[in-house]
Amino acid sequence: MSIAIRADRLRKVYPKSPPGSPAALEDLTLEVPTGGVYGLIGRNGAGKTTFVRIASTQLEPTGGQLSVLGYDVRRDDREIRTRIACVPQESRPLYFLNVEEVVYLYLKLRGLDRTEARRRTKEALDELSLTEYRRRSVQRLSGGLRRRTLCAMVLASDAEVLFLDEPTTGLDPIARRQVWEAIRRTIREHRTIVLTTHYLDEAEALSTRLALVERGRLVLEGTPADLRARVRYPYRVTLEGSFPRSELEPFGRVSEIEGGVMVFTREPEAREIARRALARGTRLSMGPVSLEDIFLEVVGRSLSDEAPAEEAEA
Amino acid sequence: MSERNRLRSLFTLVLLNGVIPIRTQPLYLLNLLASPLSFLFFITIVSHGTYLAFGVTGGMILTMLSVGTSLQSDLTHYRHDLKFQDVVVASPVEAPVYVAGMALSELVYSLPALAVFLLIFTLEGFVSLESVAVLTGVLVLVWGFASALAFTLATYFQDVRETFLFSPLISLLLTVLPPVYYPLRALPAWAQLAAHFSPTTYAAELVQGAVGLAPISSGAAAIDWLVLVAFTAGLFLLAGLKARWKEP
Repeated sequence: MSIAIRADRLRKVYPKSPPGSPAALEDLTLEVPTGGVYGLIGRNGAGKTTFVRIASTQLEPTGGQLSVLGYDVRRDDREIRTRIACVPQESRPLYFLNVEEVVYLYLKLRGLDRTEARRRTKEALDELSLTEYRRRSVQRLSGGLRRRTLCAMVLASDAEVLFLDEPTTGLDPIARRQVWEAIRRTIREHRTIVLTTHYLDEAEALSTRLALVERGRLVLEGTPADLRARVRYPYRVTLEGSFPRSELEPFGRVSEIEGGVMVFTREPEAREIARRALARGTRLSMGPVSLEDIFLEVVGRSLSDEAPAEEAEA
Repeated sequence: MSERNRLRSLFTLVLLNGVIPIRTQPLYLLNLLASPLSFLFFITIVSHGTYLAFGVTGGMILTMLSVGTSLQSDLTHYRHDLKFQDVVVASPVEAPVYVAGMALSELVYSLPALAVFLLIFTLEGFVSLESVAVLTGVLVLVWGFASALAFTLATYFQDVRETFLFSPLISLLLTVLPPVYYPLRALPAWAQLAAHFSPTTYAAELVQGAVGLAPISSGAAAIDWLVLVAFTAGLFLLAGLKARWKEP
């Protein structure tokens, strides 16, 4: 497996952060394989954007090592920049351009010739269903279409590694899926995408590997299946109607939900719960936990670890 | 990046920040014309036409300085509000190409003002080989140091509103107080001394001297050129040291 991005004990402390405040990244070590989508998930302020900004050569690291396609971000930033493209978080296209110009001029700016830039622009606009808006000024686009235009811009590029920092924020479900399709096509070209998102269904649907970052540290990393295997309760059973809680608690973690109860458990226990539920005539559904469940469990555990320490400090 | 690609990026920036916004909003063309023309009008009326020529040469210098203040606002806006600079940093475009492209793109906005002033300049009978050469050299240097100053200041601004605060101050310090619209001798002695801290004083002296408004000796002209070049080089050095392409 070749590695596109390698971070080794990466650390970032912002120069103007108050003394004693935690580092934005703390000894972050991870490897992003070449040719796939690497999903970065975590709470707001977890360090995802800081990582993307360092890897895309916009921000200096404070410590540790980070290389992109074998080039060091400190020494070889020029080499890296010729091979990457980025949609920064909260970025907006220049408002006086039209949709086609945003994509075409970006490609020209990267040094592509007119013919190639035109061809790639047309393909990207078609793929993201932007062709009908191609002459429309960015000023007259909805927020979602502006985001989609930015995605078209970098996906149309010749970059080997693409950084998409919350690219689908504000998009409707259909538009999000169009972006997903464009991303899938991009990775078929053996390009690498680093994706940060708050939509866990998106991370799960697209990512070949995932990293869960919490307070600047890597908490979990692997394929979606790896992540499921590493959590305490990789299965979820949802039971409709009432069911004695005391009977379920020995099998795992029980949560009350609207119109029923949900049990997070292991596979054999899930089968046993299902057997008992069917014997009682209770309707149920069963399956592996979602990424959201994993996120809530891991981050929730981290927050509950933090609480006693904070109480002690207080 | 090859030289050819660098040039392609440079002209794309000129198109992107200079030509296309004007197509969208042609009133941008009047933007850089308004202030110098207002000064010209005011100074001509007040002096009963005596200082018309000073108004013309001063207007061209002010136009070039305004290119710098506009650049400062655009850079700040692109960096903080649109994150366009971040998009460019994470691309093959190198910092000097971005700097040059953005500075050149602002020149497009100055074309109507320069055309109007050059027309009056010609009608006033100031055109000669020497005056055109001096004027061209001075305007290039003023554009250079105004752009370098814009890049340095834009690094420190966190919001485009801060540029609105500084732009009038820069205009005041570089074009109203120094003798850009009038001869140096019109100032009291102490103010003449203070005016020499401004690079525009040297620019104005050279142009006014070349067109015969306030003749200067060749020795004084040489010193003026030296100071103006040194000042421009110093501001470029400062921009190189302070302007941030990559955040710390």
